[in-house]
Amino acid sequence: MALQVYTASLLKEGLVAYLALDNGRPSWTTDIHLATVSNDDALETLKTAAEQSEQDNIVVAPYAIDVFQTENGIVAATKREQIRAAGPTIALPQDNIRESREAA
Amino acid sequence: MYQYSEQDHQLLLERVSQFRGQVARRLKGELSEEEFKHQRLRNGLYLQLHAYMLRVAIPYGLLSSEQMRTLAHIARKYDKGYGHFSTRQNIQYNWPKLEDVPDILDDLAKVEMHAIQTSGNCIRNTTSDPLAGVARDEIEDPRPYCELIRQWSTFHPEFNFLPRKFKIAVSGATQDRAAVAVHDIGLRLVKSKTSEEIGFEVYVGGGLGRTPMLGKVIRAFLPKQDMLTYLEAILRVYNMLGRRDNIYKARIKILVHETGEEKFRELVEAEWEKIKAGGLYLKEEDFNWVKGFFNDPEYDILPDQDADFENLMLSNADFARWVDKNIELHKQSGYRIVYLSLKTAHQPPGDVTADQMDAIADLADKYSLGHIRTTHRQNLVLSDVQLKDLPALWGELKALDLATPNYNHVTDIISCPGLDYCALATARSIPISQAITARFDDYDFINDLGDVSINISGCINACGHHHVANIGILGVNKKGTEVYQLTLGGSAREDAAIGKIIGPAFEADEIVDAVSEVLSVYLENREDPEETFLTAYRRLGPALFKERLYG
Repeated sequence: MALQVYTASLLKEGLVAYLALDNGRPSWTTDIHLATVSNDDALETLKTAAEQSEQDNIVVAPYAIDVFQTENGIVAATKREQIRAAGPTIALPQDNIRESREAA
Repeated sequence: MYQYSEQDHQLLLERVSQFRGQVARRLKGELSEEEFKHQRLRNGLYLQLHAYMLRVAIPYGLLSSEQMRTLAHIARKYDKGYGHFSTRQNIQYNWPKLEDVPDILDDLAKVEMHAIQTSGNCIRNTTSDPLAGVARDEIEDPRPYCELIRQWSTFHPEFNFLPRKFKIAVSGATQDRAAVAVHDIGLRLVKSKTSEEIGFEVYVGGGLGRTPMLGKVIRAFLPKQDMLTYLEAILRVYNMLGRRDNIYKARIKILVHETGEEKFRELVEAEWEKIKAGGLYLKEEDFNWVKGFFNDPEYDILPDQDADFENLMLSNADFARWVDKNIELHKQSGYRIVYLSLKTAHQPPGDVTADQMDAIADLADKYSLGHIRTTHRQNLVLSDVQLKDLPALWGELKALDLATPNYNHVTDIISCPGLDYCALATARSIPISQAITARFDDYDFINDLGDVSINISGCINACGHHHVANIGILGVNKKGTEVYQLTLGGSAREDAAIGKIIGPAFEADEIVDAVSEVLSVYLENREDPEETFLTAYRRLGPALFKERLYG
């Protein structure tokens, strides 16, 4: 069965977040490695918790994504979700980077 | 530039205050996301792949140095220290927090800026020629007309819920630097064939996206006085008949296409008859009033040569290259127009850091009468630089990494944010633009290739304008892999054309080689170095290119 985690955007910050359940208590983390992974059987529990978080105005538009468990932790199955999890694949513009490059 | 009236200021402050209330209610849960979404989009706030994204309007690409400093301040205080100039001459911030957005809008309002109508199914920011008012080939300054359109379209109650978004561009020069043919409405200021009168050639139904089309000329000559009544008539026909049943068929280009050009013209003319003598008919006093905001600055009387400039041109090859590529002649003797290249190997196309923005504002004050323009090719312009100041300005731009000599050359790439930022994207575009820039970083090669455009979109919505590039790249997702289609032969200028797909898509690690092959075919087959890529492609046709790419 496919492994899945629940993801959404945090309402306040807009940042990508993943649902973690600790003894049934939900929290949202920006680190996919800390997400609670579920197989199909237990997905309903995650879904209920995610929808409750949406109603509680913690997150926006939660949905389940396919993931793999690897030696390095949880990896999203699609490129889009990998980029959501890790951030842009390019170096973000930064003033100090340009200055250090020029100094070099 | 246009200065806000008391009323304008008041309106904007009220709008920010309204939005502050809406955000507070959303955070408290009194508004659902579905209810709030319409409000935030009305204020340019999207929820993107990683975070909220705020799109700030830059009316027809005109900025004061004070406004640029505010944009820098916002990047620094509320975002990650940079902003992204878009193909609609606007700026986008990629990381604002929802709770900060009302404060951002307050800061913008202080310098007469906002994010209204930068999203949603309404009339968006009107774009124009970045060289408006200073170009040598100008028939008439388009900015007063852009401002009239801005005022007419802002909060227009009838056009607040159109079938789909609506984009207008205005050009006043013989060369088209505003891509008028690929807008919902494109207006070109032209001289009447029978008199000295200047009016508009009206294009309707152009656009890119999944169904790219060039606009049709539905009126060859429209007197200026009739500009707003005629626009109103077009929008009314679209608002009544544009399709609302299918988002992919909702743009005016589909309506014009399905109705037929002739019938559509008749519908517009019939609607226009009803309103042409109404309150939107523009009078001499309207033009005089609005043109008062766009008077020429008091230029110094200067010779069109300068000894220090000439000497540096002879002694410094780097300076000469920059002048050759990034400087345009100005209508005023002794002045030049300077392109600031936002296309380097070090930053995504169109991205500018907060420190760069502050420095650009300082340079504008020091050298260019305090104004900056944004271009639809995602660069910036200092429009009024004295010839004698070019050496000093070049030195300062070089230190800021804004002097890459590549304007309208192969590394002057338009790129949408792509899958690195955008929730709609299906493939990444910035890494492809960076790989192409890294491959073709040799000035002599870039110079030899001459005038050529590469545009990249990360999905079929075509925000990177790939259809109208000489070499267009469209990223798509094919069974989980990002692949890239090549289109050749497009143009966004006065010879506008939609490029054609040359063949099957390439994988990410093949696309730069494919572009290289296309450029090689051009170099090997051009008649002489004066024949541009596009001219050669039009003469040669696709066969040679296809054969080289696919055997």
